[in-house]
Amino acid sequence: MKMRMAGAALAALALAAAGCGSGSGSEESGKTTITFWDNNGGTRTPIYQELIKRFEKANPSIHVEYVGVPIASVQQKYDTAIAGGDTPDVGGVTTSYLANLVGQQALEPADDWLGKSAVNGKLATPMLDSVRKTVPDGKLYVVPNTSNMDVIWYLKDKLKEPPKSWDEFFTDADSLTKAPDEYGYTIRGGAGSIFQILAEMYSYSGLTEFFDSTGKSTVNDPKNVEFLTRMAGLYKKDTPEADVTNDFPKMVAQFGTGKIAMMHHNLGSYNDHVEAHGADKIGAFALPPGPTGKHTVVANPVDGFAVFKSSEHKDAAWKFVEFLVSQESNSFWNSKTGQIPANTDAQNDSWVSGLPHLKTAVETLNDPATAVVSPPYYLPQFSSITKADTEPLFQKVLLGQMKPQEFLDTLAQKLTDAQAEWKKAHGG
Amino acid sequence: MATMRRRAVPYLLISPTVALIAAFLVYPIGSVAYYSLQHRNLTRPWADGFAGLDNFRQMLFEDELFWQSLGFTAKWVIVEIALQLLLGLALALIVNESFIGRGLARSLVFSPWAVSGVLTTGIWILLYTPGTGVLRFLGRPETAVLGNPGTVFSAVVITELWRGVPFFAILLLAGLQGIPGELYEAAAVDGASRLRRFHHVTLPHLRDAIVLATLLRSVWEFNNVDLLYTLTGGGPAQVTTTLPLYVAQRAVDSKDFGYGSALTMAGFVILLFCSLLYLRISRFGGER
Amino acid sequence: MSADVISRPRSPALPAGTRGRPRRDRGRVLRLYLPLGLYLVFTLVPFYWMLVFALRPAGSTTPVPWPITFDHFATVWNDLGYAVFFRNSVVVGLWSLFVTTVLAVMGGYALSRYRFRGRTLFMVVLLCTQFIPGAMMLIPLFTIFKTLHLINSLGSLIVADTVFNLPLSIILMSGFVTAVPFSVEEAAMVDGCTRLRAFLAVVLPQLRPGLIAVGSFAFIHTWNNFLFALMFVSRQDSFTIPVGLSYTIGEYSADFGALAAGGVVAALPVVCVFAVVQRYLVHGISAGAVKG
Repeated sequence: MKMRMAGAALAALALAAAGCGSGSGSEESGKTTITFWDNNGGTRTPIYQELIKRFEKANPSIHVEYVGVPIASVQQKYDTAIAGGDTPDVGGVTTSYLANLVGQQALEPADDWLGKSAVNGKLATPMLDSVRKTVPDGKLYVVPNTSNMDVIWYLKDKLKEPPKSWDEFFTDADSLTKAPDEYGYTIRGGAGSIFQILAEMYSYSGLTEFFDSTGKSTVNDPKNVEFLTRMAGLYKKDTPEADVTNDFPKMVAQFGTGKIAMMHHNLGSYNDHVEAHGADKIGAFALPPGPTGKHTVVANPVDGFAVFKSSEHKDAAWKFVEFLVSQESNSFWNSKTGQIPANTDAQNDSWVSGLPHLKTAVETLNDPATAVVSPPYYLPQFSSITKADTEPLFQKVLLGQMKPQEFLDTLAQKLTDAQAEWKKAHGG
Repeated sequence: MATMRRRAVPYLLISPTVALIAAFLVYPIGSVAYYSLQHRNLTRPWADGFAGLDNFRQMLFEDELFWQSLGFTAKWVIVEIALQLLLGLALALIVNESFIGRGLARSLVFSPWAVSGVLTTGIWILLYTPGTGVLRFLGRPETAVLGNPGTVFSAVVITELWRGVPFFAILLLAGLQGIPGELYEAAAVDGASRLRRFHHVTLPHLRDAIVLATLLRSVWEFNNVDLLYTLTGGGPAQVTTTLPLYVAQRAVDSKDFGYGSALTMAGFVILLFCSLLYLRISRFGGER
Repeated sequence: MSADVISRPRSPALPAGTRGRPRRDRGRVLRLYLPLGLYLVFTLVPFYWMLVFALRPAGSTTPVPWPITFDHFATVWNDLGYAVFFRNSVVVGLWSLFVTTVLAVMGGYALSRYRFRGRTLFMVVLLCTQFIPGAMMLIPLFTIFKTLHLINSLGSLIVADTVFNLPLSIILMSGFVTAVPFSVEEAAMVDGCTRLRAFLAVVLPQLRPGLIAVGSFAFIHTWNNFLFALMFVSRQDSFTIPVGLSYTIGEYSADFGALAAGGVVAALPVVCVFAVVQRYLVHGISAGAVKG
């Protein structure tokens, strides 16, 4: 019975504590409070907290309440909030789910604000275009903050020089493999596999459009099939057997052991690699060109900030956004994460050339010979087609249960159908 | 007057629970049923509208994965519950005896229960990943347990077992405390062997607890997807996809809420049918 | 498991020499210590792995955490703000535990002792509430909580977790109540107690193991609940531990060290509390009460 009394006492304490926990952020003595949802909470929390501190110092009448949402659940969180009517003032949004949010009419266009803002003309045009292309009305619903690029990370003590073409890559992967202890490469076979294989295929085949002029998907072009066959052939030969269920955590756990020479991901995982291997042991190269000899880059989603339609403090919200994408903040943010700044002034800052992997990325992007392919993020189904629908099929290809041609035909058909449907729904 | 008050007692006792359920669960469950009859797909809003039985027709006649996942779910639940029950019962019996270090043993045995889903899957991923895992030390560095369709089932079964056995162990241990000691003494005096004592004294007293525990845990295993979602994503190539996992992929990832609701209702009906059948067969609540 | 493992619980009042067998026999080792030892190894290996990852630098692959580093714990406690998450988890867990247990005892007693009209229906309804995954009911639940102004407060988590824990708790509790013979209460009532007093004085003590079991399930389910904790709350200072843990693994970063450190912080207190509480999972005072 003593236990029960102790329990009751604890509960009483808990009641007191719970009472303090509720209640929404409200006005206090003329201060405006806005809520900001970080779409990659956790690792980026300290960065935003620093930026918020600076912002509040410069704008004492505005208080920003930071909420970190784990990236794996952010779409579900936004969908629930929109349906339930509880959205933030400002939120981090990427173009991979922008179409979905705009379709639910949750966001406020930024065009008017941008036209009058101090950062007008300072944001990278390719990123702005990318954001506009994602929505049917071409408005700017997300103010770009950063973009990413796919790279292949490699261990410098294993791979002496990055391959200059895919052919060289396949040779390297083979020569670096000493199964079962060491492997030249690791394939992402689990969650997130499709985007990576698309990026690889298009960098090899050099195709620059996702859909041809008749609206048919180019995914099953013979050159793409050729590449996929070669890459799938690496599985279990030059890559571990575990790859077939590799999502990012599993893949990076394996790469972190130092037994694998190369791993395809993007600039964002830089800090993880540095922690596991040390900054001087890790390097990155852009996806090599194929037979065309030119780099072809599949555009990564653009990550930025959106103001929600239901916000009651839009002026304060826009002020915060402006602060975040201005040169100093944008530079700070991207230097900590190692990604490409959206602010063109920030792009010229010295730290950019100080980070070798970023330098490679920016150089490749700025090279006039590089072609950029834009995936159809405007298709609301793009996300589900490239995830739940086809990820299992890719696994079948790796396991030898499905031919690459058949897989790409299926994927192409789904994309073609989605494209046609979308065109019809938006007046062809 | 006293009779009326006495008759009202059970209703009074359950009224707070009924109120909570009515307030918080009727509408949500109703809305799932409602959406199962609708086309509602956030990625194709132009196709939204009343669907009638269309979702169900598609599910039963055109969806191979529905049947496949149903079959796998049955296999998953049955194997897990059987193993968890056996191990849990054995453990409960063991830690019911008095021996030195019993308290410590009990705490350790029950500890997986305290570990949250995110953590369990995170640690077991590390255990199973060849580079970071435990198999290196057992002389099989190559085996990609989760990637191999032949071994992945055993792998997920073991992980869920690690997490689920404490449930049965705790419950059955608590149940064992309610068995009066004299029954064992009497049986011992009558010359019954250890096995007979177990069969005639322990098991009958535990029967209700076992029936309830297996039923409730089965429903939980049926519906709980966090482990499979993170460990295998239902793969490789969908071999470890249960029906609720399929629902999660359709409704949450692909945002096809209408079809996802239909799948959920199918699960609901199946669980209801199986539960009632199970209770009937086990003659729950009958005389001992 | 072989039949050797199955043994009967020994009654504490067993007089010595009843069976004339020496206590430390080989049979005892075989059916007690060996299986227990094996199982403990199985249980503890993942915990050891967790400790190893929490204490050694990222990228290291040594089986023993040497050199030791406490960086991950620092990351987790400071950068990710675990102190707050921990406090919230405790508040929500304890409240949910308290409410669930009280209502479960009430409901369990009603189900067990009374054959009232609607009893079967009540039980079926309780079962039915477990048949639909929480994720499918997220938006309607959110709307309900919003109407009640509970969104963004820990109250929404307490209520939601209680509602989802109750059915299982009631059903289990009714089983425990049934195991206590009614004759015990009857005897007390014949002696002049009201039903309530009989219950409190005689039945409740015997329900202690059951209360512990049901209470710990309710607490643990709440402690580990992730979905509601993330979806019903949008304040950084009101998130709970599972949300904090999920920060460590994402698309751009998979910090297993932080996950493991966070896990140790999350699991250790619970295990310690349980170590204390399990002492009460013992034989009740029952035996003598009914005789004679």
